[in-house]
Amino acid sequence: MALIDARKVGKVYANRNGEPTAALEDFTLEVEANEFVGIVGPSGCGKTTFLMLVAGLETLTSGELFLEDQPVEGPDPRHAIVFQEFLLFPWRTVRQNVEFGPEVRGVSREKRRQIVDGYISLVGLEGFEDRYPHELSGGMRQKAAIARALANEPRVLLMDEPFASLDALTRETLQQELLRIWQQTEATVLFVTHSISEAVFLSDRVVVMGPRPGKIRGVARIGLPRPRKREILTSPEFMGYERHIRELVWDESQRN
Amino acid sequence: MNLKGISGRLSAKRYASPAVLIVAWELVGRLGLVDPFFLPAPTRILGSMWSLVLNGELFRHMSVSLYRSLGGYFLALVLGLGFGVLICWSRRAEDILDPVFELLRPVSTLGLVPLVIIWFGIGNGSKIAIVLKACFFPILLNTVAGIKGVNLKLIHAARSLGASEYQIWTKVIFPAALPVIFTGMRISTAISMMSIVGVEMLAADSGLGFMIVDAQRLFDTTRMFVGIITLSVLGFCMDYAARMLQKRFVGWHADSLAAGKI
Ligand SMILES: Nc1ncnc2c1ncn2[C@@H]1O[C@H](COP(=O)(O)OP(=O)(O)OP(=O)(O)O)[C@@H](O)[C@H]1O
Ligand SMILES: [Mg+2]
Repeated sequence: MALIDARKVGKVYANRNGEPTAALEDFTLEVEANEFVGIVGPSGCGKTTFLMLVAGLETLTSGELFLEDQPVEGPDPRHAIVFQEFLLFPWRTVRQNVEFGPEVRGVSREKRRQIVDGYISLVGLEGFEDRYPHELSGGMRQKAAIARALANEPRVLLMDEPFASLDALTRETLQQELLRIWQQTEATVLFVTHSISEAVFLSDRVVVMGPRPGKIRGVARIGLPRPRKREILTSPEFMGYERHIRELVWDESQRN
Repeated sequence: MNLKGISGRLSAKRYASPAVLIVAWELVGRLGLVDPFFLPAPTRILGSMWSLVLNGELFRHMSVSLYRSLGGYFLALVLGLGFGVLICWSRRAEDILDPVFELLRPVSTLGLVPLVIIWFGIGNGSKIAIVLKACFFPILLNTVAGIKGVNLKLIHAARSLGASEYQIWTKVIFPAALPVIFTGMRISTAISMMSIVGVEMLAADSGLGFMIVDAQRLFDTTRMFVGIITLSVLGFCMDYAARMLQKRFVGWHADSLAAGKI
């Protein structure tokens, strides 16, 4: 039994004038519990769309999508999403942002405090609890966004290019942090990225999508040992996986 | 860059030029350079103001004007917020209300005064109605713009974190829209003073606007100045209060803007 089970999922958007856009077609993927799955593909191929479907924020137009054997029927706090932009609530402090999920679910104040303190220290933001988002650096804001998502103790963490707008150093640090957090929380992660090496470094499997309408072009299992350290970035195995995925992305013969 | 700008700096320098101006004005009056009928000296105005304070007349006109403008303002606030939320919440309500409001909005407020007098009489009712008309639209339009401008992804984030539709309104849409709503509220505080004076000058038997036209009929320029100055001070105080509230409740917005993070 897979945790996420997408069977021939399709999504057609209708824009204001009623013209249809096929964003996703025949998307079939099974994700096991505790798996870290990376998704790469050209811009506009439907990566965000797939995350939104799993999050229950969009409805699919064909196929079936199951989460723990239940069809996805709407947003569920157990599937937290972290967006590319650091979408913290700008009128709330770090603590209040992280607290948002437990708060709306009616968790008691003392319990909330415990949960929030735990995740704030997990992502390393102690001492910044009372800052507002605009008083934080980009990396810190993304950490706060991750803590906010984790505070609901989600089974699935959906991450849409979370590190895209960060500088290379911050990005590498956060990748390591994310792996550490993932191992500690045992969440299942779907991680969309434009960076092939980021996908290889983080994932158990990397899903490669073709241009719109998004179909899966290939899935690569990344057999690199864990825990992964920065050093593997220069290992021949790592580069082998990278090359393999790059070939999948650029394979002209498979383009329709 | 001096971010505090012209309004934020509280140094002695700031008061120098107005002080010079007032002294010059006083001298012009004292030396008889201009007929005091046209331009009474500041000390004379203050004296007249003091006697109007003592006999309670100034306070009476001021409280009448304040009652009317604040009354109209708060009615406009309640209705503007209410209809704004309704329009954003229900497509049907928007389709019905929007054309009506678009039709009423350009109607000249002061042009309505004679009609409103016939409908509501010469007393407070007509004044409150005029202030309401004048203040309603800025509040309504900014409420709608504020709510419609809320980043959809903030709503997505809240929804995926488990917020109910009601919580999305109270915990996301409303706080996110508040800076724009505040803009409408602040614009309307100024408009409420402007419109109350206008209507009191046209048709009233009390209020600061009436006090000024009444003084004109009696050729009492000093008293006119007392009225004008009182109005300016009131307007300043109201805007100051609005600014403080804004800073208190949506300070995060200005700070985020200044940090380039919105
Ligand atoms: N709400 C929407 N309404 C209409 N069309 C949409 C909507 N959202 C996405 N699309 C279209 O669906 C297609 C896939 O979009 P999606 O955002 O999923 O791509 P993506 O793979 O995330 O791209 P990127 O890498 O640039 O973020 C695009 O062609 C886009 O224009
Ligand atoms: Mg995307």
